[in-house]
Amino acid sequence: MERKRPKKPRGVAIYLEGRCTACGARCQAACPTDGIDMTDNGEPIIYAAKCIGCKKCVKACPAGAIEMYFTPDEQAILAEYSREEKSDELDATPSVSPDWSGVWVYIEHREGIAHSVSWELLGEGRKLADALGVELCALILGDAIDVLAFEAGGYGAEKVYLVSDPALKYYRTSAYVHAGVHLIRKYKPEIVLIGATGQGRDLAGAMATDLHTGLTADCTGLAISPSDRLLEQTRPAFGGNIMAAILTERARPQMSTVRPHVMQRPVFEEWRKPILIWEPFNAPENMIAERILEILPIQSDQTVDLASANVIVSGGRGMMAGEHFGMLHELAQLLGGVVGCSRSAVDAGWGTHDRQVGQTGKTVSPKLYIACGISGAIQHLVGMQNSDHIIAINKDPNAPIFSVAQLGLVGDVFEIIPALIERLRQEGPYEDRPLAAVGAE
Amino acid sequence: MTPGRLLFTLFLIIAVVFFLRRASKLFAALCLGRWENRFDQLKRRFRDMLVYGFAQKRVIQNPFGVVHLALFWGFILLLLANTEFLLQGMFPLFSFAFLGERAYGVIRWLTDVSSALVIVAVAAAVIRRVFFRPTYIKANADAFIILGLIACLMIAYFANHAGEIYLHESHANPWTPISAEIARLYAGFPADFVRFWTDAFWWIHAAALLAFLVYLPYSKHLHVLTAIPNCFFRSFTPVQGVERMVFEEGREFGVSTINQFTWKGLLDFLSCTECGRCQANCPASQTGKLLNPREVIHTGKENLFASMTLLGKRLNLDSLGAMPDASNICEPLVGEPPLGVSEEEIWACTTCGACMSNCPVFIEHIPKLIGMRRHLVMEQARFPEELYLLFENSEQRHNPWGVAPSDRAKWTNGLDVRVLQEGEHAEYIYFVGCAGAMDSRARAITASMTYILNAAGLDWAILGNEERCCGDALRRLGNEYVFERMAIANMGIFERYGVEKIITHCPHCFHTLKNDYAQYGAEFEVIHHTQLIANLVEEKRLPVAQRLNGRTAIHDSCYLGRYNQIYAEPRRILTEISGGAPVEMERRGERSFCCGAGGGRMWMEELEGKRIHSERTQEALRCNPSTIAVSCPYCMTMFEDGLKDEGAQDGVKVRDVAEIVAEALEGNKTEAVEVEPATASVGAYNQSGKAQATA
Repeated sequence: MERKRPKKPRGVAIYLEGRCTACGARCQAACPTDGIDMTDNGEPIIYAAKCIGCKKCVKACPAGAIEMYFTPDEQAILAEYSREEKSDELDATPSVSPDWSGVWVYIEHREGIAHSVSWELLGEGRKLADALGVELCALILGDAIDVLAFEAGGYGAEKVYLVSDPALKYYRTSAYVHAGVHLIRKYKPEIVLIGATGQGRDLAGAMATDLHTGLTADCTGLAISPSDRLLEQTRPAFGGNIMAAILTERARPQMSTVRPHVMQRPVFEEWRKPILIWEPFNAPENMIAERILEILPIQSDQTVDLASANVIVSGGRGMMAGEHFGMLHELAQLLGGVVGCSRSAVDAGWGTHDRQVGQTGKTVSPKLYIACGISGAIQHLVGMQNSDHIIAINKDPNAPIFSVAQLGLVGDVFEIIPALIERLRQEGPYEDRPLAAVGAE
Repeated sequence: MTPGRLLFTLFLIIAVVFFLRRASKLFAALCLGRWENRFDQLKRRFRDMLVYGFAQKRVIQNPFGVVHLALFWGFILLLLANTEFLLQGMFPLFSFAFLGERAYGVIRWLTDVSSALVIVAVAAAVIRRVFFRPTYIKANADAFIILGLIACLMIAYFANHAGEIYLHESHANPWTPISAEIARLYAGFPADFVRFWTDAFWWIHAAALLAFLVYLPYSKHLHVLTAIPNCFFRSFTPVQGVERMVFEEGREFGVSTINQFTWKGLLDFLSCTECGRCQANCPASQTGKLLNPREVIHTGKENLFASMTLLGKRLNLDSLGAMPDASNICEPLVGEPPLGVSEEEIWACTTCGACMSNCPVFIEHIPKLIGMRRHLVMEQARFPEELYLLFENSEQRHNPWGVAPSDRAKWTNGLDVRVLQEGEHAEYIYFVGCAGAMDSRARAITASMTYILNAAGLDWAILGNEERCCGDALRRLGNEYVFERMAIANMGIFERYGVEKIITHCPHCFHTLKNDYAQYGAEFEVIHHTQLIANLVEEKRLPVAQRLNGRTAIHDSCYLGRYNQIYAEPRRILTEISGGAPVEMERRGERSFCCGAGGGRMWMEELEGKRIHSERTQEALRCNPSTIAVSCPYCMTMFEDGLKDEGAQDGVKVRDVAEIVAEALEGNKTEAVEVEPATASVGAYNQSGKAQATA
């Protein structure tokens, strides 16, 4: 291992005589070191001394007329490398014990009232458990939580693991981690799903660290790969530019967090009764670092909950006057959503700050965002561009809002919105209609 | 020794002891502050002390400052006379007569005339304070006590001296013409009576003088002692910024008690004259915010005095220097009045520098506020919630909006721009900045710059996706740690490409790269686009084809003007393009009024008082312009918002100087059309109307 390894050779580009189609000096343009000259016939002359082995010319050549050349010594080193890589691959095959089985969902609650993300995850967990042919279980930590267990059953959990202890009455990281890790080690679920809430993010990270396993935060999709029974955890990466599928191959359990409102909440079926498994809580109080001194209610004059709304109808300066927001409220009501606004609408006194979407207001990602008379300054775009569907209505065809909208309507908001309201009224209440249909209008 | 002389000597000693005790205490308090070298460039310091301290250059920028100048010089001249007076009090035979008849005569003449001058000045000051008090001057007893003492001194001098002349104890004419004139008033009174009142006024004069000496170091007139040193130790940068921090365990980050300032910072507190000029020019104070720079300094002074009391006996000349545990003893500075500066005040500052540029004694307000912001952000994690996104985005995505770093160079689509590749070099690096790369309106400035740079045939390139935010907002907001990471990363990129000259169109990038990065070893030249364009236009390297029409009002950006003294260049450009000088607003140059976006205020809500940008937009509209010319993307945003608020966006356009120049260039029409829709606001200056925005 300590042996000084020779550097992996990068080779030198060579021209394969006669293959050049004189495409127009693409190889020359691609070369970062100016290492290629062109003959009068348009064929390349490659200066080997300048070549850094970047292969850009090889990739640029449409005729396959350039390839990388390796000396025999270099070839030997390469062969050595490829052998090592193969053995690395062998190491990489999952060496996970088949003891780990079952899908667990952590039920988050505050004093016995569950967070809705927990039920959404049970719905998603059901699909995963069915795909794997294993059981779906809930994990509940707290004090006097029996009711929750039955609720979890109603949402599809076959088994519920409970740790009920006064010490767990309020969320405290070390106490909850202790109890959760103990249960996971004992019963070995292969998948643990946790809501990406403030509490969930805190707990998931700490548990994954203790369990020496991987954690994929803020997943937008979960699926079972049929070939190797691994959990495919999909989440946006690199600023949302790509969707990454992440696998936890070598450690168990596979842990994911999912934000609220991403998954569908299943139907509650009262007749389902879960099996309850009680575990004692055996950590002495002095092992728990945190103390609850006081529970303070959230200081907030907030009247509108923009962040969790499914549909937001937003108005900007183009609404011309505050009284015109009435039609936005009507439209929002028909769609089962709320009204937001841009900063300039707040500046003009047409909306309140708690409805403001954007950099200095709320960041929202509803399923449907309708921007009415909003030009789309970057301050606004950053607050709403992650919405699933964006419909923009603006009379300025060059408004930047159209660069993020899936559907852009160039026209007068005062014609379009009343027409939309009229149509929606005819079609009946929102609940009867799939969202996609609204988006398609 | 007569009882009178004994009594006077006793009083004098008591007064001097009181004065020295207080002065030594204050000096020990100054030494609580951290060390900072302000002893460099002594020649220049000495010169500035003469210009600003003795000639009071900044004081007389305000016309009424002449009264202060008169008082000041009256006092300087009276110093000699009062020295003689004090010595005579103890040794009646003493006099400066030994200097010779003529020299002594001149001294007496100056004493006489300047005493009269001071009385006139005091009268003017009292009349102003009583009848014409500007709002930025606080009505408090302090000023009247001092003015009263001064008046008392002068009247007593004349009454006493006139009596002496009347009693032929002092030869009068021609050296003391005014006293001689007053002496006539005694005519007709019995000699005993005059004798009594002459002596009485001598004692009144003595009492007033000694009272002045004792009262001085407790009042705002402490500045008599500290203002001149404060001018001497001034910062030579036009608007002093904050120092680089050292991130080590056990350090204090930011300022929460007065001992965490430097000694110069504490001298500032003691130098404040409460003249209110900072307040009169402060955009926050002028639009009804809680922040008042004068109150910040006053609070610092009160806090310093209170902390001195708490430190008590430990604070003495034997133990000069910093006390490590002083932070625990001193009154907290960040908190509620009267001894604390509230968070609301701390966050209201736009760091525009108007307070510092207009302070006659060079007090440095902004580093103090940023120091307190540093404490709040880095030690308390307390800041307005809107900043959470800014900080997170800056940390993770290296730009304030959280746009993917891989999208930074997207604006180049369809434009002729070279992105610098590994191993390449360009004479000029165009540092586009976050707004220039991402904000669709500011992208139009970038596109114009692209056109100008190409038209001038410069060897230039951009850093593409490698560029990061310069960190301006982070530094002004006190998030120094993230700023430092940003600065180090950018410096690494500049070094890797061997960058020598950087062009920016954003005054914030400009100032940060030029002045803040100097603390990180930056040696490259930073050029603001107005400087570059002004040179290109003068050298006739830009073919100007058409003239700008209409009235153009010009707005001075704080970070270009006050921070870097660039006033002439944008005006030269506009004069050249439009064939006439731009229209000036009421407040311009050193007194230019901030747009409201500086100091990280761009990223915060402005909920109190009138909006700063409205105030400035209304001022601009009073010039009745068709175009408001700016040289800063922040000012651009604020003016456009302001125009919308005023409903004037159809008649008045806000344009960056670069846009105005690009429009005036030959052959520009084709360029603008090619721009992709996302940056289509470039089309606004496309004369063909093809991409014209429907208004």
